[in-house]
Amino acid sequence: MSDPKKPLIFELVGKCTTTKARVGKMILPHGPVDTPVFMPVGTQGTLKGMLPEQLKSMGLQIMLANTYHLGTRPGIDVLRKAGGLHKFMNWDNNLLTDSGGFQMVSLLKLAEITEEGVKFQSLNEQKNEVMLTPEHSIEIQNTIGADIIMQLDDVVKTTIPDKARIEESVHRTTRWLDRCIKVHKNPQTQNIFPIVQGTLYEDLRRKSIADHVQRGVNGFAIGGLSGGESKDDFWKIVHLCTDLLPNNKPIYLMGVGFAEDLVVCCALGVDMFDCVFPTRTARFGCALLMTGQINLKKNTYANDMNPIDKDCSCNTCKKYTRAYLHGIVTDLPVACHLLTEHNVAFQLRLMRTIRENILNGTFVEFVQNFMSKIYPDKNYPSWIRDSLDAVHITLL
Amino acid sequence: MKFTVNPASQRCPRLGRLEAFIDKPEYSLETPLVLLHTQGGQIPHVTHEVLKLITEDPQILQIPLVSMHCYHEAIRLYNGRVSEFVGNKDCLTCITVHDPSNITKQGHHMKDKVPIFTRNGKVLYDSKMYMSMIEQFKPDMYILLSDGDTNISSPNKRIAKAVESTVSLTEQCIEIHKESEVLKETFVIAPVAGGYCLKSRQKCIDLMQKNNSYIQGYLIDGLHNNGSEVEFISFAEVKPVVDLVVQNLSPNKLVAVQGCWSPLNIIKLVKSGVDLYDTSYCRILTERSAAIIFAMEPQEHSEAYEINLRQPKYAEDFQPLLRGCNCVACQGYSRGYIHHLLTVQELLGSVLIMIHNIYYMLRFFRKIRDCIKNGNLDDLEDKVATQFKLLQLDTDKDMQVVNGSVDT
Repeated sequence: MSDPKKPLIFELVGKCTTTKARVGKMILPHGPVDTPVFMPVGTQGTLKGMLPEQLKSMGLQIMLANTYHLGTRPGIDVLRKAGGLHKFMNWDNNLLTDSGGFQMVSLLKLAEITEEGVKFQSLNEQKNEVMLTPEHSIEIQNTIGADIIMQLDDVVKTTIPDKARIEESVHRTTRWLDRCIKVHKNPQTQNIFPIVQGTLYEDLRRKSIADHVQRGVNGFAIGGLSGGESKDDFWKIVHLCTDLLPNNKPIYLMGVGFAEDLVVCCALGVDMFDCVFPTRTARFGCALLMTGQINLKKNTYANDMNPIDKDCSCNTCKKYTRAYLHGIVTDLPVACHLLTEHNVAFQLRLMRTIRENILNGTFVEFVQNFMSKIYPDKNYPSWIRDSLDAVHITLL
Repeated sequence: MKFTVNPASQRCPRLGRLEAFIDKPEYSLETPLVLLHTQGGQIPHVTHEVLKLITEDPQILQIPLVSMHCYHEAIRLYNGRVSEFVGNKDCLTCITVHDPSNITKQGHHMKDKVPIFTRNGKVLYDSKMYMSMIEQFKPDMYILLSDGDTNISSPNKRIAKAVESTVSLTEQCIEIHKESEVLKETFVIAPVAGGYCLKSRQKCIDLMQKNNSYIQGYLIDGLHNNGSEVEFISFAEVKPVVDLVVQNLSPNKLVAVQGCWSPLNIIKLVKSGVDLYDTSYCRILTERSAAIIFAMEPQEHSEAYEINLRQPKYAEDFQPLLRGCNCVACQGYSRGYIHHLLTVQELLGSVLIMIHNIYYMLRFFRKIRDCIKNGNLDDLEDKVATQFKLLQLDTDKDMQVVNGSVDT
């Protein structure tokens, strides 16, 4: 099972006997990753003022960077000369890059998708038309050198009901996957993950998965969710995908990172997550708690001598009161570093707690307690109640 | 807390020692010393956690009141020392009135009150309000409230007013200090006002003599209104003032200046007998994306005085800011990476530059002290002066290019 030349070894360490939740160890070229894992997003090859030295000492094993941004600046030439992103940013743990396609469709209004690739107007001064093809995306990602790279996929908004267009995207995504695999230069050191498409149509998701599992890849991503669809639709698709995908390979659910979503999706059997929210929100003075989030800018915290979270062992919670942070958030850049540290530590602690409870056989109780703390009046949203019910957890 | 002068050393330049801190008896800091400039207790861009990666030595945080005014209620409820409140109980603290890295607005004077320009507007502090804050902060050292609003172009009337207010505020503050139980061990630095008028400086010192026994150090105040312009003050202009003040104070008193003095002027100030400085210059450098890299050792090759990481020529430069530098930024990160971070406006760019600048400034002060010990401070001055001249030539050239007056 453990082929030394394989850039990804995934071993299941434990399983919840009630739900589909599982704990795994994923060995990548830049070290091990304990799953389920949350990957913070360091878009431009840096994470909100945090030094990689700090992130390592917090136990971060993998972070995400964005191909579209890095391909624009510093650009592929600089990254090649620098010897890849790990070296450039002084991060010798694992990296994952997206394909750049999602950014283009979401950031650029003028993006047009053809069989060849995604055509868009460049953000540079010349404003010339540029085509991001599957081949080009992989070329950039090969230069960046992340341990996990994503295929370019044909992204359709989940809120678009045009089934014919979505069906086209499913087939095209598979065709693009083949083109990506064909030009991938570093199969010994970088893993391509295919992206399951099909938005909210179960039959299309089935088709997408059936096509992708034949490609001999080391893991799978579920794409096309977290794009404005209702949560009642969202969980059903995640549930379906984790049922259909092979259980000996990691499953990555893209763009999901709110605490309760992570808990539910772990119960549904997802292994990897990413989201900009925890790091982006720090800049606005938001700190994450197990029971939700607080904005330290609010005057209620001006004289609050408690740490953000007394159960958190991050440097920020060990050393600072809410009152002190209230006086500097959104004013000094260091305040953003301090809140980012807490928010990253929060995500890491949540995932560690999930893993420990799965291994201890107490995951069901953990989920029940977790949800009852967020919803003390037991007024659970239907999607949380239904999704957990589907994996045999009855909320208290 | 006390200041002692090395008995073997002459008056200028001199070595000294700050020690016997209230709850840190093991700390001992040598002068000439640089305080770590902060805003709200935070070194700009560098958290206390990152500071630990820069230095493990004991440091004094310079905390401007203006950046702490928003905590006037919270600190009363907090009931601890300001070092702990700002997140670094291992550091010592020195409270100052204004922020040396920002220009202090002029004017707005009122009898026995000093205007402080916080981010929420002007606040008038009198001695009672100020000392009440100091008692809540419980710092290791602090500067008395003063009217330091003078500079080289201040008219005599303003200077006279500044001396009068400063003397009066000092007396009021010291009266409160004498009665204060919590400030019993706190180190007092009194401001000497008087702008560039030697007579006024002399008068200010004379009027403060009666409180001399309560004062452990003096700040040569009123040389400037803070901010980045301090870097360009010519030493020839301040020298007569500094010499007069230093010669007229008892030799066992600490002498301090504040502001973003250039390294070359710092050497000149040290030679004139000034003991205490701050790192606000590092912030000024970092805000203009510059790293200081001038050579300090005789055999060291100098590439430049400072480099500006925004320049496109650094995009593919994978060397550290300064080869051979042992700071965290130079150990792991390249000029190219920092250039990228600045170009895409990521916070880490300033963090890395500031790490280097602070590290380098601390090294510079170690070097100054070594030179005093070895009697070769003049050599360091020459070395830095030569490189500083090159920077000025470069800057002039850039200006000419901008003005289109250079032949190609």
